[in-house]
Amino acid sequence: MNSSIVVVVLASAVAYGTPLLYAALGELLAERSGVLNLGVEGMMLVGAVMGFLAVQKIDGAKGVVLPLAVAVAALAGAVAALVLAFLVITLRANQIVAGLALTILCGAAGLSSYIANDFELATDPARYSFEEVNAFGLQDLPVVGPVLFGQTWLVYASWVCVVLVGLYLSRTRPGLNVRAIGEAPAAADAMGISVTKYRYLHTIAGGAFAGVGGACFSLALTPLWVDGLTGGTGWIAIALVIFAFWRADLCLVGAYVFGAFSALPLILQAKGYTVTPQLFQALPYVMTIVVLVIVSSGIGRRRLGAPASLGVPYVREER
Amino acid sequence: MSLPRVRIEKRLEQRRFLMVAVPLGSLVVAHIAIAILLVATGHPPVATFRRLFDAAYIADGALTNSLIAATPLAFTGLAAAVAFRMKLFNIGAEGQLYFGAIGASGIAILLAGQSTPVLIVAMIVGGAVLGAAWGAIPGLLRAFLRTNEIITSLMLNYVAALVLNYLIFDSLSYWRDTSATGLVFPQGKPLVDAATWPVTTIGSVAIPFGFLVAAAVAFVVWVLYTRTRFGFEAQVIGDSPRAARYAGMRTRRKIVAIMCLSGAIAGIGGASQMGDFRHVLDARGLQQANYGYTGIVVAALARYNPFAVVFAAFLLGGLQNAGYTLQSAEFPSGLVGVMQGMILFAMLGGELLVQYRISLPRPVRHVRPQTESAS
Amino acid sequence: MSSPEPHASPAPPAPGVIAVAMRGITKRFPGVLANDDVSFEVASGEVHALLGENGAGKTTLMNILTGLYRPEEGEIEVGGKVVELASPRDAITAGIGMVHQHFRLVDTLSVSENVVLGSRTEPFLLNRASRTREVELISEALHMPVDPDAKIWQLSVGEQQRVEIMKAVRSGSQVLILDEPTAVLTPQEARQLFRTIRVMAAEGHSVIVITHKLHEVLEVSDRVTVLRGGRSIATVDTAGATTESLAALMVGRDIDVARRRESTSAIGGVVLDVEGITAAGDRGGNALKSVSLSVRAGEVLGIAGVAGNGQRELAEAVTGMRDLSAGSVSVAGKPLKTGDPRAAITAGIAHVPEDRMHTGVAPSLSIASNIALKSYRTEAVGPFLRLGLIRKRAQEMIERYDVKTPGPGTAARSLSGGNLQKVVLAREFSGEPRVLVAAAPTRGLDVGAIETVHGYLREAADRQVAVLLISEDLDEVMMLSDRIVVMYEGAVAGEVDPRTATVEEIGLLMAGVTGEPTGSEP
Repeated sequence: MNSSIVVVVLASAVAYGTPLLYAALGELLAERSGVLNLGVEGMMLVGAVMGFLAVQKIDGAKGVVLPLAVAVAALAGAVAALVLAFLVITLRANQIVAGLALTILCGAAGLSSYIANDFELATDPARYSFEEVNAFGLQDLPVVGPVLFGQTWLVYASWVCVVLVGLYLSRTRPGLNVRAIGEAPAAADAMGISVTKYRYLHTIAGGAFAGVGGACFSLALTPLWVDGLTGGTGWIAIALVIFAFWRADLCLVGAYVFGAFSALPLILQAKGYTVTPQLFQALPYVMTIVVLVIVSSGIGRRRLGAPASLGVPYVREER
Repeated sequence: MSLPRVRIEKRLEQRRFLMVAVPLGSLVVAHIAIAILLVATGHPPVATFRRLFDAAYIADGALTNSLIAATPLAFTGLAAAVAFRMKLFNIGAEGQLYFGAIGASGIAILLAGQSTPVLIVAMIVGGAVLGAAWGAIPGLLRAFLRTNEIITSLMLNYVAALVLNYLIFDSLSYWRDTSATGLVFPQGKPLVDAATWPVTTIGSVAIPFGFLVAAAVAFVVWVLYTRTRFGFEAQVIGDSPRAARYAGMRTRRKIVAIMCLSGAIAGIGGASQMGDFRHVLDARGLQQANYGYTGIVVAALARYNPFAVVFAAFLLGGLQNAGYTLQSAEFPSGLVGVMQGMILFAMLGGELLVQYRISLPRPVRHVRPQTESAS
Repeated sequence: MSSPEPHASPAPPAPGVIAVAMRGITKRFPGVLANDDVSFEVASGEVHALLGENGAGKTTLMNILTGLYRPEEGEIEVGGKVVELASPRDAITAGIGMVHQHFRLVDTLSVSENVVLGSRTEPFLLNRASRTREVELISEALHMPVDPDAKIWQLSVGEQQRVEIMKAVRSGSQVLILDEPTAVLTPQEARQLFRTIRVMAAEGHSVIVITHKLHEVLEVSDRVTVLRGGRSIATVDTAGATTESLAALMVGRDIDVARRRESTSAIGGVVLDVEGITAAGDRGGNALKSVSLSVRAGEVLGIAGVAGNGQRELAEAVTGMRDLSAGSVSVAGKPLKTGDPRAAITAGIAHVPEDRMHTGVAPSLSIASNIALKSYRTEAVGPFLRLGLIRKRAQEMIERYDVKTPGPGTAARSLSGGNLQKVVLAREFSGEPRVLVAAAPTRGLDVGAIETVHGYLREAADRQVAVLLISEDLDEVMMLSDRIVVMYEGAVAGEVDPRTATVEEIGLLMAGVTGEPTGSEP
């Protein structure tokens, strides 16, 4: 009896951690190139609403419409990111203010709401949504089954993405270049690498991932449209990237940890322990602060740290 | 691929005229962009703008409601402006406001028997102190451990929200209403009537006391920054930390002080929410309102000038109010957010014109002895 | 033996063939003629030293060669063909590579990653083994041992420099330029570097070494070109040169003795006493090594030496902007708290910093604010500034020091160099200081402004201020100082009397020669 609650909670942690994971991967790419994207939440919401719109309005079979809707969501996030990229890279606007502006513009009282309203999206549930898939028929294994093998395609795709992003950064030539740009744009520039081009591409890619993260909500988790559906996940993604020391593999771990921590109090309460849920819920945030302190101190910075140029517009000194 | 090398250089002198023209110009640009959006989605632009304006300022009670919406934004806007001006990016006004509300309501409950003036002062002080304390955390981390204040203050917003939830929903805290209904439907203890802040009525407009306090705070901040040693040092540190060190200024202490000041102002905003409007620690309502983040937009629009912040708060408050009032099937919801975002974008883009000068490449002359050049 | 870079690099021309030539190069900056009809050529397989003091034009010339600047006049030939170098990329394509004083390395990446960074020929999927092999090949060929997998931040400065050299070699540079390469090296590392340079020359590369150190020139180069005042003075074979002959060429003009004004001030007791100070540099190692000196009231003590030998750190140490690991600084007998600028200010030390725009003033603030930058504390009424007084004083200063500006409210950043320096001086003098530390006070100023600043420095001495003048301009130091201390590599190389010292003597001290005049390594 008790163990099945654990299982349900863990399975939920994975399911709910997935949009967080997508958003974090996107944020990771942007930050590695030196751009602090505070517009993630907004990008997730436009992705969510556009994906939902696509599902409701495009005719076709489920197998065609759903992937298409995800693609639309990614595109929407990418377009939003393009706007942000233009503002902060070319126009050198303050990255914090610009990111916030984007979130407000796209967010719960903004564009996503506007579109939802105009197309009357709040009335019906999604025509199609991602459902749990019995992977390799292993869903019936105790514990591991439902947690790992009874998830939606979006979850499995997220695992693939983690691997791809991780390999990209550590093993490919462009990945090396972007790591150099994030750390020392002047050095990269001197070696003939286009800082502007890489930052644009990675910020846009970040938006695309965020859009998919939003689609996780509107096409899988709560296949309805509700205003502000993502509930702040985008902000948490920013914390997650730090918590994961800017590494893709740790983003996976962190996403599920964050998810689990919200669910943990329920388990304990069910087992009869009186526990203050907020204590657990606060832990991820506090831990992120601790990580950030370590990473910013002298010793930590070099081994573990933030890309040194994060948040700073790059200007090549010219005579 | 070679683009013409357009050079963007920082201007030596910022032209006064641009400093006013750009914000106004960006308002115009934003309206045009939104008009395009409206037309594209089948709404009449002029009529929509008219309805907005009407609902914000003209209709019965509109001004009052706009002031109500503007008051918290003025506080969080001032909080952001105070810090951002010094290149301290405090995005924790949200959480600092929550703690201000906690402090103010706590004191109001404690001193329930006192007279209104006493309660007002106590609530403001309580709000300011707790807000300052919450703001001190990212300040200390930044000053002494060089930890980026953007992320720390953001994280602390979430922790503050959780504290609110704990106090009201998951505990029988001092703030919790423990009456029969209160135990079933969790809510905060209602504050006594004496803790209601007065309203100043001019004609048909009711000005909340908090708004007046915000205006006073704006004045104090202005005096602080332009006329005191504290403000002078803050200016120097914000402009050039190296010059500040050269001049013997104590940079680290100043950073903490500014963060505390910023938090205190946001905290008073929380106190105003208690005394002017909600009269109970409304955990859910405060979290849904997003005053802290909107305040940053206000501050950015006002280019961090304290008086302009109050004015910008009034503008955005009007917008919020209009959006809320007009919520219905015929009115495009979400327009408010879009407008706020667009205005800010236009402003940010315009900033470029104020701060930088764009020049085209000057041709390089090659005075060469007779030989032809071969590349 | 040949470069491991897989893409085609032109075969090195036979030794003796001119690899690169610069003819008639003239480069102007606002107010300054950096290169005046300079001609210069290097053969393949040759190590050529470019010698001169600061401001002689060496770095500008090399920046032109690497495509960073474009000359007003003149042309560049590589391998016999005239080339147009419009950007650093062009220079790299032409086979010219430079190892800068400030390395362009990414700290968190490994050696091999830095070496292949930006390369267009690396495969999409990085192959660590092949990268490592490449780095090993290069480092063997050049006798430069380095661990391909070490992260840059883990390496010593000397090792980091090797990575920079490897980068240049790998990108196919036939012509390698090294800018003051031993500035950051220990003697042992320097020796190793020279070995590497010799190997590269033997392989047909052309190596240009920019330096001000005479013994290096003698040790490693085949020929040397001396620049002075933007002009090329002479090109000689190293074999026939001595330290004296080189020093004379480098520094040698007669100081116009008539221009020197004997100080009219009486010299009083010791005001500034610096004892055995040792301070760490920014890149590890000690920038100051047990330096001791003292300055009396009314005296001008000049610190001479080529920039980069600890002068900047000395100024920072005395004014409290740099921590000391040993030793003490005292004013009128009272030791100061080290590393605290406020303590220095309170003790009466005025500081005219090297970087006037970014350290000496807050650029966006008004002139009035900047003049009050240090005095606002004492002139305040409680917490409030006396704005009227501040403005009035600023107006007075502007008039007295003849600062060309619309008014005290103008932003400091809009002032020209000379006027900005006047503002800084005005502020520093107004505090009635006991000690004045002036670091490179006339750098970048035009002749008129230089005269003015000199006038103020002398006036300070007349008023019994102890003046510590730190400058790369030997003329200036000779002209203004009552005594001169020469610094070399963070320590005092020697002290001379400007009235009796010869230029050769000073030049030798500046170039690190303290023993016999034959230039043996000290």
